[in-house]
Amino acid sequence: MAYPDFWNPKHETLPREELQQLQFLKLRRLCEWAYATTPFHKRKFDEAGFHPEQLKTLDDIRRIPFMTREDWMASLQEKPLFGDTLATDPVNAIRYHLTSGTSGRTPIRVLDGTKDWDWISEMWCYGLWGFGIRPEDSVYFAFGYGSFIGFWGAHYACEKIGALVVPGGAQTTEARIKQIVELGVTTVASTPTYALHLWQKAREMGIDLATQSKVNKVILSGEPAGSIPAVKRQLEEAWGAQCGDTAGMTEIGTIMIFECSHHSGGTHIIEDHFIEEVLDATTSEPVGYEELGERVVTSFGRGFIPLIRYRTRDMVMKVPASTCSCGRTWDLYSGGIRGRWDDMKLIRGTNVYPSAVEAIIREYAAIDEFQIYFWRKDNIQDEIDIKLEIKPGLENSWSDLQIKLAKDLAQAHEGLRFNVVRMDHGSLPRFELKARRLVDARPIAQY
Amino acid sequence: MTTSTTDLLGKPLSEQEQEILAAYETLKKLAARDDLPPCAARNIRQALASLWQATNDLGLQFEQLYEYGV
Repeated sequence: MAYPDFWNPKHETLPREELQQLQFLKLRRLCEWAYATTPFHKRKFDEAGFHPEQLKTLDDIRRIPFMTREDWMASLQEKPLFGDTLATDPVNAIRYHLTSGTSGRTPIRVLDGTKDWDWISEMWCYGLWGFGIRPEDSVYFAFGYGSFIGFWGAHYACEKIGALVVPGGAQTTEARIKQIVELGVTTVASTPTYALHLWQKAREMGIDLATQSKVNKVILSGEPAGSIPAVKRQLEEAWGAQCGDTAGMTEIGTIMIFECSHHSGGTHIIEDHFIEEVLDATTSEPVGYEELGERVVTSFGRGFIPLIRYRTRDMVMKVPASTCSCGRTWDLYSGGIRGRWDDMKLIRGTNVYPSAVEAIIREYAAIDEFQIYFWRKDNIQDEIDIKLEIKPGLENSWSDLQIKLAKDLAQAHEGLRFNVVRMDHGSLPRFELKARRLVDARPIAQY
Repeated sequence: MTTSTTDLLGKPLSEQEQEILAAYETLKKLAARDDLPPCAARNIRQALASLWQATNDLGLQFEQLYEYGV
């Protein structure tokens, strides 16, 4: 059956002038809603001397104060569990999720109402349809279905599209591979790291996924690697399939960018549902096309927790819509999300803030010195070693400490595995001034 | 109940858009009732959430629905 190329032809091809008119109208209404309903935003707006009536053109967005992760975390700590960020009574919520990692001891918690949750899958529909998912597809989700939002929205999007959904859930990698082959699925959704791991494990099982599976599309999310050309080439050869990158964040609940089936080397911004500003990370001044800057997102979706001018610290480079031949009028991020402006690391789809890791390590009095060491195993899988020295005289605490620290770190990071490694006393570097206990030994991505 | 004849950008609605918007407004009206059995009340809310997506995607409305528990 022939289908249209676009999920929403009306807005995906809207002339940019009209698109900006639409964004302005939604921005004004969103700010009015947030000011009237959300103590967090009312306080922020009042402190900045901003009122929604001051929005006369889209450029006036710069009058709106930024929302930062730190503001949000402070609100959560002051008024657990959700701070003063909720726009409506929690009784209207049908869904609870939290961020995959944290910059402190508390993750960001979010609630969604019925329409918000449906909107989350709607954004995935834009992306998945654009990448080529159709009702005839069967989609395997190599995903744990926990409280990390991950591929939840994509799961429901595939149902909405009419594709057959196969939830991988909590199974071994071997069991997942068997299902992928036996069920003849056409599409696999996974982080790039895990997609490579699946392929590697399949090889060990004597299965060549490129020839023995029917997978022709791999949906990638959760890590920048999905848009790194070398990784993508490796994945496409391994699976004998097209790979499409997407990126989202728990703070908005879904994806805001996706790679379409024309594979231009960039990811389209869903511009009728988001305003994506790219600003100089230091001066906060807008940067032009083809310049690196920080993503600042305003979401027109989740009304439960309005997200307005949220500083993501993501590093991006915007390019015009004409860069892609698909016909969409939506601009793109060349190379997807390219990295971070802060020290956050993405490890196997989970956010890791070294400062939060350090805070946990510091709770153990027996630890004398430590190093957080990121490395890549077999050129595929990112690993974190916590190298540490035990204080002289406290060596007997090592075996208990090793188990408990690994458990504490995993619990603070959605079950992510940390390798706790004991080093000889005096072998780790010492610092007199600014300590550098973080070593990232992973290869640098080439775009 | 008055249904708009233009989209958010002020363009006249097509015939199909008019029908989609009318269905959305009907669901809102039903969701506001408090005399429906749970099987109707909850499924209407599910349907309203779905129609919110269609009408929002097409630029026919941009509003919140928490007053209806949606």
